[in-house]
Amino acid sequence: MTDILQELKGIVGDRVSASPGERCCYASDASQVVGLPDFVVRPKSTSQVSRLLRLCSEHLIPATARGAGTGLAGGCSPVRGGIVLDMSGMNRILEIDYENQQVIVEPGVVAEKLNFALKPYGFFFPPDPGSMAMCTIGGMLSYNSSGMRSVKYGTVRNYVLDLEVVLADGRVIHTGKKVLKSSAGYDLTRLFVGSEGTLGIITSAGLKIAPLPRTRKIVLACFEEAEIAGQAVIRIFSNGITPSACEILDRTTLQVLKLCDPLLAIPEDGDVILFEVDGTESSTSEAARQISEICQPTAKSVRIAVGAEMDSIWSARRLVGAAISRLDPTKTRIYMGEDVGVPIKEIPALIKKVQQIAVKLDIPAMKYGHIGDGNLHVALFIDVMNKEQWEKLRLAADRIHRAAMDLGGTVSSEHGIGLARAGYLPEQMGMEAFSVMQSIKKALDPKGILNPGKMGL
Amino acid sequence: MNLDLKAINQCVRCGSCRTFCPVFEESGWESANTRGRIMILKGLTCGLQPDLQVLGSLNTCTTCGICTENCPAGVNPPEIIENARRQLVSLGKMTCQQADLSRNIFASGNTFGDGRDRLSWLTDRGLLTKKADYVYFAGCMNSYRYTETAANTFALLNRFGATMLPAEQCCGSPLLRTGFDARRFIDENCRQIANTGAKTVITGCAGCYTTLKKSYPQDFRVLSVPEFLAERISEMDIKPLDLTVTYHDPCHLGRHNQIYEQPRQVIRAICRLKEMKTSGKAARCCGGGGGVRAGYKDLSLKMAKKRLEDVPGEVDYIVTSCPLCIRNLRDAGAGEKVIDLVDLVAMAMQ
Ligand SMILES: Cc1cc2nc3c(=O)[nH]c(=O)nc-3n(C[C@H](O)[C@H](O)[C@H](O)COP(=O)(O)OP(=O)(O)OC[C@H]3O[C@@H](n4cnc5c(N)ncnc54)[C@H](O)[C@@H]3O)c2cc1C
Ligand code: SF4
Ligand code: SF4
Repeated sequence: MTDILQELKGIVGDRVSASPGERCCYASDASQVVGLPDFVVRPKSTSQVSRLLRLCSEHLIPATARGAGTGLAGGCSPVRGGIVLDMSGMNRILEIDYENQQVIVEPGVVAEKLNFALKPYGFFFPPDPGSMAMCTIGGMLSYNSSGMRSVKYGTVRNYVLDLEVVLADGRVIHTGKKVLKSSAGYDLTRLFVGSEGTLGIITSAGLKIAPLPRTRKIVLACFEEAEIAGQAVIRIFSNGITPSACEILDRTTLQVLKLCDPLLAIPEDGDVILFEVDGTESSTSEAARQISEICQPTAKSVRIAVGAEMDSIWSARRLVGAAISRLDPTKTRIYMGEDVGVPIKEIPALIKKVQQIAVKLDIPAMKYGHIGDGNLHVALFIDVMNKEQWEKLRLAADRIHRAAMDLGGTVSSEHGIGLARAGYLPEQMGMEAFSVMQSIKKALDPKGILNPGKMGL
Repeated sequence: MNLDLKAINQCVRCGSCRTFCPVFEESGWESANTRGRIMILKGLTCGLQPDLQVLGSLNTCTTCGICTENCPAGVNPPEIIENARRQLVSLGKMTCQQADLSRNIFASGNTFGDGRDRLSWLTDRGLLTKKADYVYFAGCMNSYRYTETAANTFALLNRFGATMLPAEQCCGSPLLRTGFDARRFIDENCRQIANTGAKTVITGCAGCYTTLKKSYPQDFRVLSVPEFLAERISEMDIKPLDLTVTYHDPCHLGRHNQIYEQPRQVIRAICRLKEMKTSGKAARCCGGGGGVRAGYKDLSLKMAKKRLEDVPGEVDYIVTSCPLCIRNLRDAGAGEKVIDLVDLVAMAMQ
């Protein structure tokens, strides 16, 4: 171990730690997955990452990449020990080439910081996870993250043009070119997106950016029940309207939002759908009017919000998932079963099933999420000192995952598989497809040093 | 260790604090972030040993409270951290710097270990009446380092009938922030305050203010100098000054006690005010609090330098109301441009 520490120092200088306290801080993300690393290193360059992986490969040391550690699946937890590579220090925006509608960034750049830098140019990087104030581009790429606006703008995958990746043996490759489209060879870029650090470590990314819309408006429609709300959403889409966001907030979520910001003018009694439309002044006015009209017959109330009011609703919404203990300080939100997705048409059925599961197990569940793309976040919260509640929580999460698969959906829409959901992957994909994934892993990481134990690999 | 697991478990490890903890911003190591500190505390309850690195993680928290203000889960990290420091110290786990600081205070009654008279700046002792409505509590920093500010403050308050304690002791703030027992000092100051018969104690130090208000028995009202001045500004003979200043919110006045408006009211009565890039609830910490200046001076000054980047252009002074902030901001390069609110008032009264 001392020899390895010396070698690590030789590569990254004092940006390595083997102290028990530091290792403890890098044992987990926001999920319940825990794994203690032997060393934490904070590389500053591609060549350092390359030398680190060569060392790991030579000594068969597990290497787990980490961004901001905000993941919800345990992706960055080093469950087999070894080295954690904290990539958040590689945080330079290398190039803003707005004429070519792209940027080149290091993986540690925080999503919101990228958007601050792009704003003066009139551009933005559209994927907007609720955690965008703290999560890194590297983490987002590796989980194929998305956010509230993915219903119109898609997920991270839609914005990646080129990746610089360090392979398990230390070789450095580029997966694409600085062009907006390419038809040359296997799509290696998309292979690495969503690979959760199991195939290589991303050291820079060429990303497509989009022009900022001139204006945004939201329509707040409140319904008696989530099911009726779900049906209204289906009507909106079947009328050919594509909102830039389409979020469901159940009664509990509305209470938590109010606790976060008592001044928010949101309904409290009902299930709310938040539609956002973006574009020009006239196109957004027209779309907001159409949405209001379609919702009116079944809604309890419909209202349009703009400007500062809209901004405060969004900022409260972004972190609502973490805020639930404000409702009951004796309980903590545990991220499990929190990210299922189904075809949009099945959303009302999923909501009903989740409700039944929660009632049957007598476990409180807050439901919110990107209903516009079929992604429902279920927030289960328990007294973490109570063993029985832990049992119920595990059972509830399992049933929610299975409910989504039964409806033809997925156990994760955007938070990834990591270790938290690894057990479901072969079942969801089918064994044949999963074995293709295993073969790819074997080809790229024959010694199995990259983030071992994740995704069932 | 017997830590409050309920409070610790309230943290969902969302990592939002990575965007606002000023110490993490400088360091980049997770152990220097709010979330890391909480994970370390949890570790301590399951066998992690409190070695120097662990103490470094806990002791570099400036207790600025910006995490409390922004944590979506409603966690109050500085409270949890201070509680842990207390338990560690009671187990004899502390750094040399912590031990030195407490030794100084216990030996001399002030943070500097200074043997001189605490009231050396007071030219006319006759002004110290035995009985009074108000007590001006100067604090260690103003008594020994910024004696002119102490003199200016006392001159102002004395007009309204304030006296001082004959043998004021350190309020206990540095001890409490770094995990020590301050009862001896609290009791002694309380005894002297009771002797004056005063029902109100006024202080110009944000650290003393929080301590007097939250850690002393509630036998008297505690006011900060900005609060007192804001109440009395119309009774003072103030002439406007052709100056533009900015105001730095000390964490222990602002976020810890919600005193945002009063100092601004006083400033606006005197001159123009231009806000800093971050102010009020969102104000960046000067980096000096929580024992960080005493234990980790370089880190503390780096944070102060960052705070100076928030200062708007073309201001004549950076005004604040905490001598600890003044010292840190001055040492970080702003020099005499940083002044106490009372010094601004004194200029306007000349
Ligand atoms: C309050 C809250 C709200 C959230 N909201 C959303 C949301 O709306 N949408 C959403 O999609 N997610 C959301 N998340 C989940 C999480 O923030 C995202 O998945 C985010 O993209 C993770 O980024 P990170 O930098 O924290 O990555 P980490 O958690 O550190 O790592 C994530 C994965 O990426 C890998 N990785 C990191 N960097 C690299 C690299 N350079 N090369 C290779 N692999 C790497 C890690 O090994 C790991 O497998 C939320 C989380 C929280 C706490
Ligand atoms: S913001 Fe609050 S809940 Fe989130 S990690 Fe920091 S202390 Fe924990
Ligand atoms: S009080 Fe300030 S320094 Fe301490 S953990 Fe919170 S944000 Fe960081």
